[in-house]
Amino acid sequence: MNTTYLRMEVRRLLRNRRVLIFSMLMPAILLLIFGGLNKDQEIGGVSATAYLMVSLGIFGSMSTAIGGGGSIAVERGIGWNRQLRLTPLRPGRYVAIKVMLSLLMTLPPLLIVYVLGAVALDVRLPAGTWALVALGSWLGALPFAALGVVVGYVAKPDSVQQVSGLLYMLLAAFGGLWVPVETMPRLMRDVAELTPAYWVGQVARSPLFHGSLGVHAVLVLLGWTVALALVALSRFRADTARA
Amino acid sequence: MIVLRNLVKRYGAVTAVDGLNLEIRSGEVVALLGPNGAGKSTTIDLLLGLARPDEGSATLFGMPPATAIARGKVGALLQSGGLLPDLTVAEIVELTASLHGKARPVPEVLRRAGIADLAKRRIAGLSGGQQQRVRFAMALVADPELIVLDEPTTGLDPEARRAFWSAMHEETAQGRTVLFATHYLDEADAYADRIVFMRAGKVVADGTASQIKGLAAGRTIRATLPGADLAALAALPGVDQAEGRGEAVLLTCHDSAAALRALLAATDARDIEVTGRGLEDAFVALTLEGAAA
Repeated sequence: MNTTYLRMEVRRLLRNRRVLIFSMLMPAILLLIFGGLNKDQEIGGVSATAYLMVSLGIFGSMSTAIGGGGSIAVERGIGWNRQLRLTPLRPGRYVAIKVMLSLLMTLPPLLIVYVLGAVALDVRLPAGTWALVALGSWLGALPFAALGVVVGYVAKPDSVQQVSGLLYMLLAAFGGLWVPVETMPRLMRDVAELTPAYWVGQVARSPLFHGSLGVHAVLVLLGWTVALALVALSRFRADTARA
Repeated sequence: MIVLRNLVKRYGAVTAVDGLNLEIRSGEVVALLGPNGAGKSTTIDLLLGLARPDEGSATLFGMPPATAIARGKVGALLQSGGLLPDLTVAEIVELTASLHGKARPVPEVLRRAGIADLAKRRIAGLSGGQQQRVRFAMALVADPELIVLDEPTTGLDPEARRAFWSAMHEETAQGRTVLFATHYLDEADAYADRIVFMRAGKVVADGTASQIKGLAAGRTIRATLPGADLAALAALPGVDQAEGRGEAVLLTCHDSAAALRALLAATDARDIEVTGRGLEDAFVALTLEGAAA
């Protein structure tokens, strides 16, 4: 593993504070609005603020992970990928570094949402539940990191932000990250089940209901991860072959 | 070292490289010269494996280009190679070094490329010429046996061009093989052992600078001769062509000595100058030859 490359990517990230701040701003603001509006409510026997906190944490990590892969489009646009092809770096490694970076990038939005949840909205959970919720939300970002890679190879550099923005808004709206699926009409709920966002929600929220991760949801999410990774791989292969 | 056989590359209806054959041996410094659109950049893309040939093959060190690059044997500077704007000069060269198994020390390479004083500057704040030298440092850092440069001095001012080539000269003194594409004749003349002249995707001339100049053989006689009969002048022995320039005439000759004797015997020509033809004439002749055909 080339740690120098990952280190340089982290430095670039810290220099582009705009990206970092924006990734935390959206979920934080949404949490304060939705959480504030639904204080003292319950969803399926669970505190609504805890429920929304987990959902919006996923929204933050999902949007950041999709955006992370988008940087591939920008780097293709400036010709960095051609520069890399003059080095022994295998293209698959490059994608692996981008996925790892995406996972690192999802930590700040998750952290800010949990801190705000605990401090501003008085969310109280057992330590084990916190840990499972955080782990599910963080690893649940993997399929979206793969989706980001797809966007990075398909989108044009000047429209990649709009494309990934539209994608995560649709996923959040229809996947039940903004409006709890439990309160959706039947048809909307059926649609929600077709999105990977719904299944991350099911995985990461299940500890709130019964203190453990739901096996069925984990398996469906795993399926999504594999499927999106395969699509990413084929886009990436097509791009390399085009030369 | 570099072997290109019957390379063909088409982009739609345009044939950028059209049956190109070229062999470059270890230790040679070769200029790929030709007008814009001759297929120089496409040839470089093909030999680096950045584009796939429609026909023919390219091998480096007897291997496919990608394998040679993976083994760190090739350093290249491309026009289209982009740099990450938010890294510093030292960081991007260090990153490139880390991607190669073996690498020279970064400070030494920065000094070689003449950018040691820019080490801590961000790429985004550099001029085009400075970025070009960063690309040069990135091409050198792996200590490659073969260096490929696509129009390396485009956008550099004359002083920077000179500095670039003197740095390059020190590198080639260590026995490296260099292939560079250029449309600057003086660079090809001054720095290459061998010039490969391309036109319309083919090699049309290949040899030392003096051999290429010889292709536009002959000399030009210029003389003042008011009221000259151009047809009669063109018929003199050794003369290929006669042109009028006001009171002066310009005779293009394949045998200037015979032409001169005949000119002096037959006319009152004065202010006579005889000049040999340079690489520029060869360039023009080779380029026009194709346009006429």
